[in-house]
Amino acid sequence: MISVIAYGLTLGGILYIISIGFSFTFGTMKIVNYAHALIFTIGGYILYATLPRIGFYPAAVLAATLGVIPIAFIIERFVIRNLYGESVDLTIIATYAVFLIGLDVLKWIWGSNPLQMSDPINKTFTFLGTELPVYRMAVIVIALALAILIEIFLQRSMAGKIVIAGLEDKETVRGLGISVQRYFTMVFIIGSALAALGGVLYAPITVVEPYMGFQILMLSFAVVIVGGLGNWRGTFVAAFFLGMVMSVTGRWWGPASEVAVFAILAVSLLIHPIDI
Amino acid sequence: MPSQPILETRDLSIAFGEYKAVDKVDFLINTGDCAGIIGPNGAGKSTFFNMLTGMYTPTAGAVFYQGVNITRLPVEKRVALGMVRTFQLVSVFDSLTVLQNMIPPVDRFRRQYANKRLFYFGEAESPEVVECCRTWLAKVGIEKRGREMTANLSYGEKRKLEIAMALSLEPKILLLDEPLAGLSDVEIKDVLGLIGGLRGKFTILLIEHKISQIQNLVRRLSVMHEGRMIAQGEPLEIIHDREIRRIYWGAGAE
Repeated sequence: MISVIAYGLTLGGILYIISIGFSFTFGTMKIVNYAHALIFTIGGYILYATLPRIGFYPAAVLAATLGVIPIAFIIERFVIRNLYGESVDLTIIATYAVFLIGLDVLKWIWGSNPLQMSDPINKTFTFLGTELPVYRMAVIVIALALAILIEIFLQRSMAGKIVIAGLEDKETVRGLGISVQRYFTMVFIIGSALAALGGVLYAPITVVEPYMGFQILMLSFAVVIVGGLGNWRGTFVAAFFLGMVMSVTGRWWGPASEVAVFAILAVSLLIHPIDI
Repeated sequence: MPSQPILETRDLSIAFGEYKAVDKVDFLINTGDCAGIIGPNGAGKSTFFNMLTGMYTPTAGAVFYQGVNITRLPVEKRVALGMVRTFQLVSVFDSLTVLQNMIPPVDRFRRQYANKRLFYFGEAESPEVVECCRTWLAKVGIEKRGREMTANLSYGEKRKLEIAMALSLEPKILLLDEPLAGLSDVEIKDVLGLIGGLRGKFTILLIEHKISQIQNLVRRLSVMHEGRMIAQGEPLEIIHDREIRRIYWGAGAE
C-alpha cells in the first residue's frame, strides 16, 4: 500500500513538472502545444548522451534542462508565435508537425530502440516496513519545490502578476501598454525547460525512446483539463490526483491505469465543458 | 497650444464582409478638449474606437496622432505614446486583488524602484510598489478596498478601478468607451464627477448612447449613425438640430 502511494506521488510529481508549461501555454496563448512532448523526449536523450561524458548526475540534469532552451526558443519564434489567435485545431496540426519532425531527427541520431538508464541514486530506505527507492522520493521533493517556486514567482513578483493578468485577459493587458508577447515567450521557455526536466527525471523510471513523450503528453493533457485551463494550482492538484489514480488502478490491473485517467477526463469535461 | 489637433481620422472605414461598420469617418479632437460621440447601439461607435486604439485595423483611411500616422501601430505602442482607453464592458482582473490590478500598469516604473537585486521576487509587495498603487487608487477613492479581491467589487467600483489603471498610465488622451454603461444612478453621478474633474488635465474622448448624461460634461459632440459621422458641434447645437432629433430619437435610442 505504501509503495503504491509513493509511486502515485512520484508519477504525480513528473506529471506536474511536465504539465505546468503545457498549462501556461494553453492558458495564456490558447495553443495546444504538441511540441511539448518533443522537448520532454529531447530532455531524456540529452541526459542519456551527456551523463557518460559528464559523469556527475546533477550536472547532466542541468545540461538537459538548459540544453532545450535554444530549441524551445526556435520553436517559439518560428512556429508558436505565428499561431496566436489561430484556431485550436490549427495549433495542434502545426505543433504536431514539429513533434513528428523532431521525432525523426531523434530516431536518426539515436535509433528507435529503447535505451535503458539506471537509477542514479540506487539506494532505498525503509518507511513503515516498506522499502522505497530514494530517487523516486527525490522526484517528489523536486516537484514540490518547483510548485513553491512558481507560486512565489506568480504571487510576489511584478512579472508574475502580469502573467496572471494575461491568463485572465490578454487584450486588457495589451491595453495597458504591456507587450504580452515578451511575457508569453518567457513563460513558454521556462515551461519547455521544465518539460525537459520532466523527461530527465522520468528517464530512469522508464526507458528513453522516441515516443516516450507522446504517451505522457496525453496524460499531461488530461491533467491540464481536469485542473482547469491556465489554473496553475489546479494543475498541481490534478497532477498528483491523476498520478495516484494511475498508481492505484495500475496496481490491480496494469492496462487499466491510463483508461482510468481518461475516464476521469471525460467526467471532468461533462461537469465543466471547456470553451476555447 | 489648445488648438493643436491631438487625434484625427481621415476617411476611416472598416468593413466586415459586405457590412460597412464604419464608413469614411473624418474626425478631429484638439489637445485639451473634452468631446463625446453619441449614437444608437450598433451605430459603429465602439468599432470606431477600436480603430483609434489599434484593436481593429481599418480597411481604408488613416488615424493620425499628434500629426503622425499611427493607423497600423499595435495597441501597446499607442499606449506608450499616451493613448489610453477603457472598455464598454469594464476590464479589470478579477483574479487579482484591487491593489494588484494596479501592478501591470505601474510596471513600467519598475526601474525606478530601488531594488536592483537579480531574481528578487518580492517586488510586487515592496513598500514602494504598494505605495505607488495605493496613490492611484486614492485618486478615484477606492484605496480602502485595496486588499480585497477585485471580483468582490461592485460594478461601479470596478469602473473606478479601471479608470485608476488608465490614469496611472499618464495619458495624453483618455478614450472612454461608454463609461456609464451598467452603472446605477448614484454610481453614474460619481463617475461623471470623476471624469468632470479630469477635464483640462488631458484630452478626453468618450462614447455614450444617451445624450442627456453627457451634454453638460463635453464641449463638443459628434453623432454617429449607421457607421457615419452625421454631425459635429457644440452639445446644445446638436441637441436642437431638427434633422438629428429625427434620426436619433426616431431610431428609438431614448
